[in-house]
Amino acid sequence: MPDVGARPTTIPHGASKSAPRIDLLAFAVRFQSLIGLVLVAIGGVIFSPVRHGHILFLAPDNIANIIRAISETGIIAVGMTFVIITAGIDLSVGALLSLSSVLTATMMVSVGWGLAPTLLAVLVVGAAFGAVQGWISTRFRLEPFIVTLAGLQVARGLALVVSNNQYINISYGDGPGLAPPIFAILGDRLFDNTVPVATLVFIAFAVVATIVLNTTRFGRYIFAVGGNERAARLSGVPVTAMKISVYAITGLASAAAGIVHAGQFNFGSANDGTGYELTAIAAVVIGGTSLFGGSGSMVGTVAGSVMLGALANILQLNNINAALQLLATGAIIVLAAVLQSLVRRREGVTR
Amino acid sequence: MSEAAAGPDRRVPVLAARGIAKSFGGARALRGVDFTLYSGEVHALLGENGAGKSTLMNVLSGAHAPDEGEIAIDGQPVRFDDPREAQAAGVATIYQELDLVPTLDVAANLFLGRERVRNGFLDKAAMRDEARKRLSAIDVDIDIDRRVADLSIGHRQVVAIVKALSSASKVLIMDEPTAALTSTEVERLFKIMRDLSARGVGIIYISHRLEEVPRVADRVTVMRDGLVAGETSPKAPQAEIVQLLVGRPLGELYPKRAVNSGRRLLNLERARFRLRRDRAGWQAPEEVTLNVHAGEIVGLAGIMGAGRTELLSALYGSGLEGAWEGVVEVNGRSTKLASIRAARRAGIAFVTDDRRGDGLMLRMSVGRNLVMSIIRQVTPFGFVSAARETDSAERSFKQFDIRPHDVRIAAGALSGGNQQKVVLAKEVLGEPLLLLLDEPTRGVDVGAKGEIYARLRELAAEGLGVLVASSEMPELLGICDRIVVLRGGRTVAEFDGGIDELTVLTAASGEKMIHA
Repeated sequence: MPDVGARPTTIPHGASKSAPRIDLLAFAVRFQSLIGLVLVAIGGVIFSPVRHGHILFLAPDNIANIIRAISETGIIAVGMTFVIITAGIDLSVGALLSLSSVLTATMMVSVGWGLAPTLLAVLVVGAAFGAVQGWISTRFRLEPFIVTLAGLQVARGLALVVSNNQYINISYGDGPGLAPPIFAILGDRLFDNTVPVATLVFIAFAVVATIVLNTTRFGRYIFAVGGNERAARLSGVPVTAMKISVYAITGLASAAAGIVHAGQFNFGSANDGTGYELTAIAAVVIGGTSLFGGSGSMVGTVAGSVMLGALANILQLNNINAALQLLATGAIIVLAAVLQSLVRRREGVTR
Repeated sequence: MSEAAAGPDRRVPVLAARGIAKSFGGARALRGVDFTLYSGEVHALLGENGAGKSTLMNVLSGAHAPDEGEIAIDGQPVRFDDPREAQAAGVATIYQELDLVPTLDVAANLFLGRERVRNGFLDKAAMRDEARKRLSAIDVDIDIDRRVADLSIGHRQVVAIVKALSSASKVLIMDEPTAALTSTEVERLFKIMRDLSARGVGIIYISHRLEEVPRVADRVTVMRDGLVAGETSPKAPQAEIVQLLVGRPLGELYPKRAVNSGRRLLNLERARFRLRRDRAGWQAPEEVTLNVHAGEIVGLAGIMGAGRTELLSALYGSGLEGAWEGVVEVNGRSTKLASIRAARRAGIAFVTDDRRGDGLMLRMSVGRNLVMSIIRQVTPFGFVSAARETDSAERSFKQFDIRPHDVRIAAGALSGGNQQKVVLAKEVLGEPLLLLLDEPTRGVDVGAKGEIYARLRELAAEGLGVLVASSEMPELLGICDRIVVLRGGRTVAEFDGGIDELTVLTAASGEKMIHA
């Protein structure tokens, strides 16, 4: 007869309570994006070029550049976190950003709408675009991958049609065909010319999203749908409505990012935002959100976004070419995914 | 071997397992099992759910490595690290979930992983010839070009057997092969088994159906609680086998019932669930008459395919699309029960038989899982109230003695028994009038079973009505005030407590074997 006490390898049943063993792997995964961010920052300091005794990487201008550069994909990544927690994916975000920038510029410049109606309309269109994708995916039981891949093409196509494949430049001033000067603030920095306004939009999104995800019934439903859809349905969770909402959220986030894009660069373009969906997904995954759904962290997504931005920045500062940047990003994504998979396997929740 | 004639005892068994032990987490599924199989015999392995049959089979087939014990093939010790190694040694397994690819045709399935190749290309002609030969060798007429998805369950079973036979030179393990077969298909399967054993293949035959045992088996081993409870002859009286299966004194496991039934919570009279679209294998309720009163535990008995699960899920609105006809009343009010929401509003809660698949968010904490059914109460104004959440979860922990006592631990990390307590506690938190339970103790160890039974009895005493479907007859006999028997989607009999297993089984299977 086997003696239970003779098998020391198994994890004791009351591990979490009686024997608080420090679990390095779980710790590493839980805070992987923050740890990664710290490591990248340390690396940035070490490898940063130094000019006149100043570390370029830490220069206020450089920091501002990093957080400005990530604000658009960051806003999208925040929305994407909701979708990925439900075990979905949204590939249409980059194209929708582009469409939104075109719509913003067109409405203000060509149609002559005021600022508030324009922004409201663009946000509504973005949310509706996402909601329709979510509806198609749930109604016809299609993989979100396919539906949003189609959505990507549609959004890009619409952007090309609306813009006639031209840059739509935004000029500022009063009167029809001109955008109110306040809109240009999206390209400025506040507080003594330190904090980019685009970043403030990103932060606002992240804060609201963190609250929604972690403290509301809606957020709890999102986790439940991704954790076990059938169980959620049996528990009375409105699964279909939840799934449609998360795509509406990514749509809304993409529209907001498109508005920021138009404001930062003073034009709408049908060819921008290419590949943003992949950057956003990468930030989410590095942030510790599982592509299998059911678990994830908004703080992780923000840290993942900043980390990717900082990494790109270091490589640029050292004049390392773009190809190597891609390689580095790829390696980090694989590492993040491997860590998650190790934890999943140990938790015994695979299959 | 020349000694073969001297009787089975002196022969070298084709497969011998000694002292096999296997634990999952804290649950000890096998606690030192000896098992032998001689070539040319059909050895039936019986046991209730959770007795360890499937685990033993998984160990013998190489799917799980045993924690302790030895396995020998033809007297040579072996160690299988995965099913492929077992197959290479001549041990093949046919699982309940057939390991066929439904979208491929029969020939492709038969050669899956062992494709014939010529000049770097698939040699389809050779494979088709061989496939045809193998099927006709056992007198079965199946079109090898049809997709497996288009075959009947019985034909799929045959394909799986033929596929397994290509590697099972010595031992064939069959897990509940007749569970989903019609009577003609069962006959054909038995004939195939007899042919195989005549050719010297040793067959391990796992089944729930006692009546089949004397017809095919040469030897019977009964398992209980991870141990071999005994070995007997297939000709032994059924009562003796049942005694071995049940074993323990029922009085200790099952709580005393308290009969004080109150108002009628569920009333079905000639109720029928008309499906929008039929689906093969889904036995919709055809004509169901039963009622459940407050304070009462009513059992649903029936053989596999009788429609127990389907009845419960149709009541909960979680089955296939369709509509109830006839009298359907919940708490005195006529209702359609058209959706999960409608059922929940009417005060019905449901615990499915698949706690991991349907019941729990495995990566979510136990506490969050628990409050899922009362999420509105713990999220005033849409925001989660940590205090209310913890209060409710703690109440469940105490009531059901869930271990370890930690609301933050992931549900997937709990043992099966504790997970089952969580899914039950979760629904109980919502204070339903009527609780529907499907296989409430499947895969749960005996200790947790006893606790669950005690809680159910307490809840019933507080006025809850419980309708429980189970394939474990002793469980139904032990906990239920009344037992309703389903056959082919119809209620065919109803018994008060204090009857024996055979009476219920007879009613459940009918005079003759019908669609299973």
